[in-house]
Amino acid sequence: MSKKGNKADLAPSRRDRIGIGQYILGFFLLLYTLFCALPVVLVFIAAFTDEKAINKNGFSYFPEKWSLSGMNAVLRYGQQLLTSYGVTIFITVAGTFLGLLVMSMFAYSISRPDFKLSKFLSIYLLIPMLFNGGQLSGYLVFTTQYHLKDSLWLLILPLCVTTMNVIILRTYIVNSIPSELMEAAKIDGAGEYRTFFQITLPLLKPSLAAVGFMMATAYWNDWQNALLYITSDSKKPLQLLLVNIQKSIEFLLNNNNVPASVKAAMGGTIPQYSSTMATVIVVIGPIMVVYPFFQKYFVKGLTVGSVKG
Amino acid sequence: MKAVKDFLSNTWKHRAHVVMALPVFLILFFIMYVPMAGLVLAFKEYDFTKGIWGSPWVGLKNFKFLVASKDIFINMTRNTLMYYIIFTALGTFLNVVLAIAIDQFVFKKVAKTMQTLMIIPVFISYAAVQFIVYAFISTDTGILNNTFNMGVRFYSTASLWPLILTIVKMWNSVGYGSVLYMSVLAGIDTSLYEAAEIDGANKWQKIWNITLPALIPMITVMLLLSVGSVMRSDTGLFYQVTRNSGTLYSTTQVIDSYVLNAIYKTSNFGFTAAASFFQSVAGLLLMLFANFTVRKIAPENALF
Repeated sequence: MSKKGNKADLAPSRRDRIGIGQYILGFFLLLYTLFCALPVVLVFIAAFTDEKAINKNGFSYFPEKWSLSGMNAVLRYGQQLLTSYGVTIFITVAGTFLGLLVMSMFAYSISRPDFKLSKFLSIYLLIPMLFNGGQLSGYLVFTTQYHLKDSLWLLILPLCVTTMNVIILRTYIVNSIPSELMEAAKIDGAGEYRTFFQITLPLLKPSLAAVGFMMATAYWNDWQNALLYITSDSKKPLQLLLVNIQKSIEFLLNNNNVPASVKAAMGGTIPQYSSTMATVIVVIGPIMVVYPFFQKYFVKGLTVGSVKG
Repeated sequence: MKAVKDFLSNTWKHRAHVVMALPVFLILFFIMYVPMAGLVLAFKEYDFTKGIWGSPWVGLKNFKFLVASKDIFINMTRNTLMYYIIFTALGTFLNVVLAIAIDQFVFKKVAKTMQTLMIIPVFISYAAVQFIVYAFISTDTGILNNTFNMGVRFYSTASLWPLILTIVKMWNSVGYGSVLYMSVLAGIDTSLYEAAEIDGANKWQKIWNITLPALIPMITVMLLLSVGSVMRSDTGLFYQVTRNSGTLYSTTQVIDSYVLNAIYKTSNFGFTAAASFFQSVAGLLLMLFANFTVRKIAPENALF
């Protein structure tokens, strides 16, 4: 911040400093940017490459022949694709809102100055970061004790509350929202709930945007819980579609026990390279579109939250 | 007696806050705390009809399996630790280098655009990443084999995977990881640099004497946080990107991917429970140890 303020006085000396070094630095930064971006670009090119061209020449940034058949193949998933989109959007939206609501309420409560129980609650919050039961006992408890197998709750609840996110929200409340505001509201006769929902929550927005975006991507990208818990087609999120495509390719192409005639007969259903890449676009596309708008928030949110408190 | 009474009246006075804290309390209880109790499975023989609590106790039998099947257990523990060390050391180094590089670059608008592109990979799930990796390294259609005519069978050559996974992991996380360090750099008082300039310091001396020391607290906190998850891995990287290929297990199987496989195939629950128990307890001890060490050296950076 202070840098920005000084920009005017620094301007002349800065121009002097733009030497050859800056261009070398820029070159290396550009190389690294390409290293990050080019693999993603390949997805888009491959999705519009003719299948025969891929089979003949392999994947390429300069395909011999372009084609829309990959995209058309994705549209042929039709109903299942729509269903999966619906499921993913539902768990992302529901999970993020639920998580933000309960976590900010918790963060608000444990940051109240003379609330004695807050010590215990802070420790209770911290313990899961140090110690946890691991995947296996989680799986057995959720499926055999709670009987939630194939339930969307298992896609929502496990990602809903994380210690780190509560700490980020709490740090923001303590450092960036003046407690006088809350006291003033109380003097004016607002109850605890009203103070929270009408004073604290609106002021918490930057932090909510940061945490919310991170949560939303975690929900959108979650394949592991889906793989373990979801069995029916009507509840399959997008990521599980991707995993299933991979598993069926694996099975058909690498399993020597499948007779050639069966393979030939199933030929039409072996997902092809271009259509697989087109599916990848469908899955990662929405995040690519939304992410630049949230960038400033999560950069800011990380900054604030990273302060130990 | 008075303390208890005070405490109760304080809690009653704050009943609204208790209510507001309740949802998280319950979610953590059912999602995190109850499974902790499930770790007792390590000392039981799991019986599907009797469930976790009803299954019979077998003492240390499961751990004997663990010791007996040396290769599998030692191999996955070694891989877990090896990848943690590589990813953390290299990752931290690259995060810091990239943050300083972007900070030093005077064309801020260009830097901003570059940074946006560098962060993108972190938002792509490993379920999708594995198709991208495949496009580069598959034997017949992969770009690497076609461009350089190498004919390498990546998916059946275990020795190449530490390198491949490291590259994929760095591609995925460095751009995003550097954001945190950049925010620290933005907060450095510019008068420090000006004073150094007056004293005749050159660019490298300024980086060495001002920039790096300013980053140390953040590096410590991040390392400390990561120690708690030494025994846990980025499961998607090891399960998806490797296509869960058995021929690669010697260099790619980590505890988490082993456990995921065991659950998915419903096999070897005794062995898996013992491995999980080891994973959780070792993680806790490492975390306590790391925090203790930081407390001795630089108390202000300790977590608790």
